[in-house]
Amino acid sequence: MAAAASSLLSAPSSSCSSGHRRASAFPFRFPSSVSLTSSSSFSTISSSFPSMFPLPGRASAPAATASTAFSVSASGEKKKVLIVNTNSGGHAVIGFYLAKELLGAGHEVTVLTVGEESSDKMKKPPFTRFSELVSAGGCTVWGNPADVGKIVGGAAFDVVLDNNGKDLDTVRPVADWAKGAGVKQFLFISSAGIYKTSDEVPHVEGDPVKADASHVAVEKYIEELSFSSWAVFRPQYMIGSGNNKDCEEWFFDRIVRDRPVPIPGSGMQLTNISHVRDLSSMLALAVDNPTAASGNIFNCVSDRAVTFIGLVKLCAQAAGREAKIVYYDPKAVGVDAKKAFPFRNMHFYAEPRAAKVFLGWSSSTNLPVDLKERFDEYVSIGRDKKEIKLDVDDKILESLKVPVSA
Amino acid sequence: MRGGHGGGAESPVNVTPAISPPRTLQLPPQLLNPPHFTVATHSREAGKPWLEGGPREEQRVAAAAAEAVMASLVAVQPRLQPSPRFSLFPSSVSDFHGASLSCPVQAKRKTWGSRGTLQVTASSSTKKILIMGGTRFIGVFLSRLLVKDGHQVTLFTRGKSPVTKQLPGESDQDYADFSSKVLHLKGDRQDFEFVKKSLAAEGFDVVYDINGREAVEVEPILDALPNLEQFIYCSSAGVYLKSDLLPHFETDAVDPKSRHKGKLETESLLDSKGVNWTSIRPVYIYGPLNYNPVEEWFFHRLKAGRPIPIPNSGVQITQLGHVKDLANAFVKVLGHPKASKQVFNISGSKYVSFDGLAKACAKAAGFPEPEIVHYNPKEFDFGKKKAFPFRDQHFFASIEKATWELGWTPEFDLVEGLADSYNLDFGRGTYRKEADFSTDDIILDKSLVLQK
Repeated sequence: MAAAASSLLSAPSSSCSSGHRRASAFPFRFPSSVSLTSSSSFSTISSSFPSMFPLPGRASAPAATASTAFSVSASGEKKKVLIVNTNSGGHAVIGFYLAKELLGAGHEVTVLTVGEESSDKMKKPPFTRFSELVSAGGCTVWGNPADVGKIVGGAAFDVVLDNNGKDLDTVRPVADWAKGAGVKQFLFISSAGIYKTSDEVPHVEGDPVKADASHVAVEKYIEELSFSSWAVFRPQYMIGSGNNKDCEEWFFDRIVRDRPVPIPGSGMQLTNISHVRDLSSMLALAVDNPTAASGNIFNCVSDRAVTFIGLVKLCAQAAGREAKIVYYDPKAVGVDAKKAFPFRNMHFYAEPRAAKVFLGWSSSTNLPVDLKERFDEYVSIGRDKKEIKLDVDDKILESLKVPVSA
Repeated sequence: MRGGHGGGAESPVNVTPAISPPRTLQLPPQLLNPPHFTVATHSREAGKPWLEGGPREEQRVAAAAAEAVMASLVAVQPRLQPSPRFSLFPSSVSDFHGASLSCPVQAKRKTWGSRGTLQVTASSSTKKILIMGGTRFIGVFLSRLLVKDGHQVTLFTRGKSPVTKQLPGESDQDYADFSSKVLHLKGDRQDFEFVKKSLAAEGFDVVYDINGREAVEVEPILDALPNLEQFIYCSSAGVYLKSDLLPHFETDAVDPKSRHKGKLETESLLDSKGVNWTSIRPVYIYGPLNYNPVEEWFFHRLKAGRPIPIPNSGVQITQLGHVKDLANAFVKVLGHPKASKQVFNISGSKYVSFDGLAKACAKAAGFPEPEIVHYNPKEFDFGKKKAFPFRDQHFFASIEKATWELGWTPEFDLVEGLADSYNLDFGRGTYRKEADFSTDDIILDKSLVLQK
C-alpha cells in the first residue's frame, strides 16, 4: 500500500488506480456528469417490486448466491457507493466485505477510512488487504469523516454507508453532508447492543432499545433527515478472514494450547456469531433494493444462535482437538467479565427477521464449516505457535484451583 | 366401549351435552378487545418517542411491509390499526379469546414481518372433516373454528369424556350452535379394523389427527379413505435432534431415538403413502383447558405463595404457543396449496427463559414477582416424579416458515396468552392436576440450593 497524503487534492494516490480513472486532478473520481437531482434511475426502481416473494432458503450457499429475485428489479442499476469505515474494532471488516461484494457486482465503491493511511492501525486486517479493493476497481481514501465533503470533493454518490460512528457527533457531519449532496440512500451500522434486555428472546426489530444508547440518537437523526431511502443495521459478533478484532481466535488460542477454556456462568448463554459475508450480503441487498429497505431496522446477524458451550465445542471440532471447559462466576473470582470473555455475559441474541421479510435475504453462516476455515487460517499465519499471555485466565483458574496444563 | 364392532359402522351420533354448563361470566369490555398487532419495526407504546413506538412509524412501516410482502399466494392486508375482529372466533366466542386485562398487563405490540393474518376460509366448499380426538384441548378450539367455517365436523373419540362441553366465556348461544352441529363417531382408534370400517363407511374429505402417536394408528385411516384430500397431523417439535445451533428450523435433523419417534415415524409414513399430508410441530402448548401442567404448574405455586424451584441456571430458553394460535394454524393449512406435504413449526413468536416464564406467569395472573430458587437436579432423587414441567435444555423453533408460507401469525404474546389462560381457567378455580409440592419440598428443605 503506497503511502499517500490523505488529502486527495494532491497527487493521485495509487490506492485509487483503476481502469475507470481518468486523467484528472481528482485522484479517485471526477464529478459525475449526471446531476443528482436528475438521477432518476434510482427512483424508478421503487415501483417495480418483484411479484414473487421467494422463500429464503436454508442453504449454506455463499453470499453471491444470496441475491434473490429481489435484485431482479434492480439488476443493471449500478450505484456509486461511499463507505465511511472505522479504522479499528469488530465492525471494521464489514466495510471491507461490503466493498468487495459491491465491486464484484459492478458498483463503484469508495472507502473512506478514518484517520491516516500511514497510521499503525492500518497494519492490521482488513486494511492490510485494501489493495484487493483497489485492484477490483475500488477507491480507498483516508481522512476525518467530519471533512467528508472536502475529501470526496465534488464526487456524487448514490449511497452512503456510515460504518464508523457510534454517536451523533461523529455521524452527523457525514449524514448532513450526504443529505446536502443529494445522496439517495443512507445506511448506518448501529449495534444490536442497544436493545433493552428482556427475559424473552430474541431481539426483534421494533423491540425497545436503551434510550440513552448513543446509537439510538444517530438512528433517529438519520430517520429525520428523510433520505429517499435510509436503513439502520444492528450487528452482533462476526467471524471472517480480515477481521480486525478477535472473536473465534479467543477460543482457538486456548484450545490449540490445551488450555482450559474459562466460561462465565452456566455457559448456556446464547449469542449470534455470524460470518461477515452474511452482513455484507444483507447490506448489498439493501443497496440493490432501496425501496424495500427504506425506513427499516435490520438485525444484521445470522439466523442461528449458539451457546457459549456450543461455540467451544464447534471451535474444538474445527481445531480437531478436545476442549476442556471450566465454569466460573466473574464476581466471585473478581474479574471483569467484559475483559475476561469476548462476549456479553448474558443472552445476547437477535434474529434477522426484517431482512428475510423485506429483502428476501437468507443467512449463509455455517459455523462448523466457517470455523474450520478460520482455524486453518489461524494456523497458516502461525498464531497457534505464538507466545501468548493468558493472565486473566490464570487468575480465574487459580481461584478455581484448576491446573493450567491439561 | 367399542361401537359398531363386527357389524356395520356405527352411525355418527349427534351428541348434546348432559352436563350443566359451568358458570359463565360476563367479561368486562377490555377482555373483548383482541390484542393489538402491527407490522411496526418499532414497538407500539403510546406516548413514547418513535424508537419505542409511534403510530406514524408503524403506519409507514406497515405500508412498506404490505408493499414488500405482497405476493405470497396468501393475500396480505396492510393493517394500519388493529382490526375489530382479529381472529376467527365470533365476538361472543372471542370472550375466551380476549386476553388483555384484569391483570396489569399492557396488550403490546407484536408482530414482525409478514402480516398475513387474513384468514382464508379455505376453499369455498364445505368439507366433511374427521378429527381424531378433539374433546380435550387443541381439538376443542379447532372443532369450533371448523364448524364456524361451515364444515361438517365429526369427532372420533371413545366417548369417555363428554363430546362437547361449554367453554369458559362461551355464550350459551354459541355453545348450543356448536354442539348441535358437531358430530361424534364413537370408537377406539386402537381398534384398527373398526377405524378402517367406520371411516370407509362414512367417507371423509379431510382428517385432522390430533391425538395420534404411532404410525400404525394412521394406516387404517389412510386405507379407509383412498380419496382423502388432506391428512393433517399434529406432530411435535420434540422430534428435532438436540442442537447447539438454534432455533430449530423445519429442515433440521430429527432424532430417530427421541421420545417422540412415533410422531416422526408417522410423518415418514404419510410421506411414503402419497397422500396429501401436512404436519404441524408445536413446541409447548398452553392456554385454557391445558391438560399438560405447563402454566398450571407455575400458577399453583404462585397461588400458594411458594417459591418457584427452577433447575440449574434458569436461563434455559423454551417456547410456548397458545392453543388458539395453534388452532388457527390448523385451520390455515386446510386446503392450503403451500401446506401440501409440508412440515410447519407452530408456536409463539418469541422464546423465554425459565426464570422469565416464572415471572411472566406472575405478571399475567397479577401475582407479585415470585421468589425463584435454583437447584442442581443431579443432587436430588425425585423418584418417578417430575420436578419441573420443561425439558432441561434450550428448546425452541422458528415459526418463520409458517408466517411466510401460510400467512399465519400468532396473536398472543406470552404474557397476554398466559393471562388468557389464567382468566379463563386457573383463575376461575379450574385446573387439571392437583397441586403437588412434594418435589418442591425436597428441594427447598435441602440446604444445598444454588443461590442466584
